[in-house]
Amino acid sequence: MLKLVSRRLLALVPLLFIVSVLTFSFTSLLPSDPVDLIIGDTGTQEQYEVVRERLGLNQPVILRYIQWLGRAVQGDLGTSFFNSVSVADAVMQRLPVTLSLTLVSALIAVAVGTAAGIAAALRPRSWVDRLATVGATIGQAIPNFWFGLLLVAVFAVNMRWFPATGFTPISASPWEWLRSVTLPAIALGLSSSAAIARQVRSAMVGVLQQDYIRAARAQGLSSRRVILKHALTNAMVPVVAVLSFQITVLLGGSLIVEQVFSINGLGTLAITAVRQQDIPMIQGLVLVMVGLVVMVQLATDIVYGFLNPKARPS
Amino acid sequence: MKTWITRSAFLAAMALGLGGTPAWAEGSGTFRYAEQVKLITMDPQKQSGSGVPFLRPAYESLFEKGPKGDYVPLLATGYKVDGLDVTITLRQGVTFSNGEPFNAEAAAKNINRGVELGIVEGLKTVASASAADEYTLKIKLKEPDPAIIDSLCLTGGMMIAPGAMDDPALDRNPVGTGPYIHSKTESREGEVQVYTPNPTYWDKDKIGLARYEVLEIPDDTARLNALKTGQIDGGNWLANPQSAIIDRTPGLKLIRGTGGLNYHIIISDREGTVIPAFADVNVRKAMAYAIDRTAFGKAVQFGLAVDSYQPYGEGHWAYDPALEGVYAYDVDKAREYMAKSKFPDGFSFDMPSIPLYQSRLEALAGFFKEIGITMNIAPQEPGTLARVSRTTAYPATNLVWQTNTDPKFLALRYIYENANYNPFKAKPSEELLALAKAGLESVETDVRAPIYKKMAARLADEAFLIFVASSPILIGVSEKTASNPTVVYRYGEDSINLRGLKAN
Repeated sequence: MLKLVSRRLLALVPLLFIVSVLTFSFTSLLPSDPVDLIIGDTGTQEQYEVVRERLGLNQPVILRYIQWLGRAVQGDLGTSFFNSVSVADAVMQRLPVTLSLTLVSALIAVAVGTAAGIAAALRPRSWVDRLATVGATIGQAIPNFWFGLLLVAVFAVNMRWFPATGFTPISASPWEWLRSVTLPAIALGLSSSAAIARQVRSAMVGVLQQDYIRAARAQGLSSRRVILKHALTNAMVPVVAVLSFQITVLLGGSLIVEQVFSINGLGTLAITAVRQQDIPMIQGLVLVMVGLVVMVQLATDIVYGFLNPKARPS
Repeated sequence: MKTWITRSAFLAAMALGLGGTPAWAEGSGTFRYAEQVKLITMDPQKQSGSGVPFLRPAYESLFEKGPKGDYVPLLATGYKVDGLDVTITLRQGVTFSNGEPFNAEAAAKNINRGVELGIVEGLKTVASASAADEYTLKIKLKEPDPAIIDSLCLTGGMMIAPGAMDDPALDRNPVGTGPYIHSKTESREGEVQVYTPNPTYWDKDKIGLARYEVLEIPDDTARLNALKTGQIDGGNWLANPQSAIIDRTPGLKLIRGTGGLNYHIIISDREGTVIPAFADVNVRKAMAYAIDRTAFGKAVQFGLAVDSYQPYGEGHWAYDPALEGVYAYDVDKAREYMAKSKFPDGFSFDMPSIPLYQSRLEALAGFFKEIGITMNIAPQEPGTLARVSRTTAYPATNLVWQTNTDPKFLALRYIYENANYNPFKAKPSEELLALAKAGLESVETDVRAPIYKKMAARLADEAFLIFVASSPILIGVSEKTASNPTVVYRYGEDSINLRGLKAN
């Protein structure tokens, strides 16, 4: 296991390098210019040149990249073009927000998706199964930002059960944290729960027809034990693979949901950075997101190994 | 030319409309205001756009504007403008929140820093500043500037503690003389900036809050929901569907402030270098007549804009009611002008567009099509329109003009041969040039108003600036805020005056 972890971490190095090269190249190809935003409508051509020089944008892209890389390997991801906020600080401040949101929405997706999938699998072609299938289809079809707006309109604006916007850190108030994260997490987790429900259903239907399940039932084991311990454990193997993919989808989806709920996470930071062409910030964000995705995949492989000993890396 | 104004602090407060408010020693309660833009910098001398509500709690300017746009001394007590020399007397007994004294030396250092940075447009006419004595500031101008006091009401006049100027993180650690101080520990970057009372404030009675928060909520719907649910007490908006909802929602109120944004077309190639038709004034007039401004305002700006025929809005000292309807929608007249021109069969041209203006330009393209002019919309990356407009890449462009901006900037922006938005270096008419020059010869608005009214009339006649619609400054507030007697909206700004503001 340790070998797997170290191998993956080592593979992260060339991956981050390639990603950083691509990000730097793509951002330098964009026609917009951060200097325009910095000097504003009233800026003159002279000011434009001065600011370009100050930011080093008058230098060739390759030189800029080498300078950035030199600092990055020492842990310095640079400073925003627009203020004195360091990229590392900005990212680290928002990381817990996005992770909170992703984690809670993943929990919701797993809980709802697994429950719906099991219920559907236990009575195939019954009304429960059809309801779960229709629900899953709707869940995957509804855009999460629209669902989020709907949730806000009903549960925040009309009922006032939850705040309409903002995020409260768990350290400030666990209760307020839960209130602030519930609606965005539901909005974000909806489509993932639908995908998981479909996966659990088909996996469970297959597993429940296996001989060892019949044998377990013949031994007099309770239905609950048979389903949760014997059937679900095996049915979860393909689900974990789907979950890994879904978590990366949730990370991406948080970009939009954070906007709807005005949550100051990595998504909001990314959108602002892209709009402003804040190249150091974009670079830092992409690297962190890539790192997160790699970590999620690593965690998936580890869990996969526990659930399926045959799949454990040698 | 000489003007000497000295007002007592009492008169200043009266002019601000705060004289009748009761005094209190300590603030209580919280007021939450939402900004539609993300915070970029809290360094006023590096501020080039929106975001002034983030600065006002901590920074005070030398002057501010009274309810009718008049100049009210704040950190200053009076001023005198004599040609290129400006003398400003300063308030005594004021300290910055870091304990440094506010005096002429500190003020001069601020002005000189602003000049050196060169970002604040209002300080571009300043050569240098110096201290004449402890509380007298001297400013030397490079050229006559009747708007210098106006500029000192805004970011150009905001005073930073000299000791804080060397802080590389000044943009996140504001140190001014304002009634509130920025609380870095309670603020959350990108989300909310928190301000608490300044214990060293020179006018403690005007501290009415225990806490002031400025939230960054750029999404219009999220900001609207925050207002509906009471998470914020107020916030600023542009003319969009969400502000239209505020306008018709019971329990909310949309405040229309003086000033705002005037959307207009600029015929940059008015000498016809690329598009010969643009050199023909009949064509330009035809375009001005072809625009159904009322329909435009209703459809594109959600009924929150008014028809516009001049750069200034109603209530501004240079506004001329005689120009109202000068190009009222008349498609027959537009066709007559096209027929009179050398281009009766029409022509086509390219117009740069950013996503925000796409629907506006689509509407305008429809109007121009009626008179045989094809306007091709050329999408640009957001944030690049201003730069593109300063080049000869397009023969015309479209921008907004802040209607509370001093009219002298009209010439600097559009009229002079080297104006920022005159990329084709078109020579201005003698009349416009003379009016632009005359407008600089006095600081008195009474003297300047007729000059700039003539300039607006002349601009209408030459029709290379086609004004379309003007939307006011829009502030959405809750019912409680609307009925709060201590809420005073700043003239020409999308913020609330914090001096004397109490929680709802």
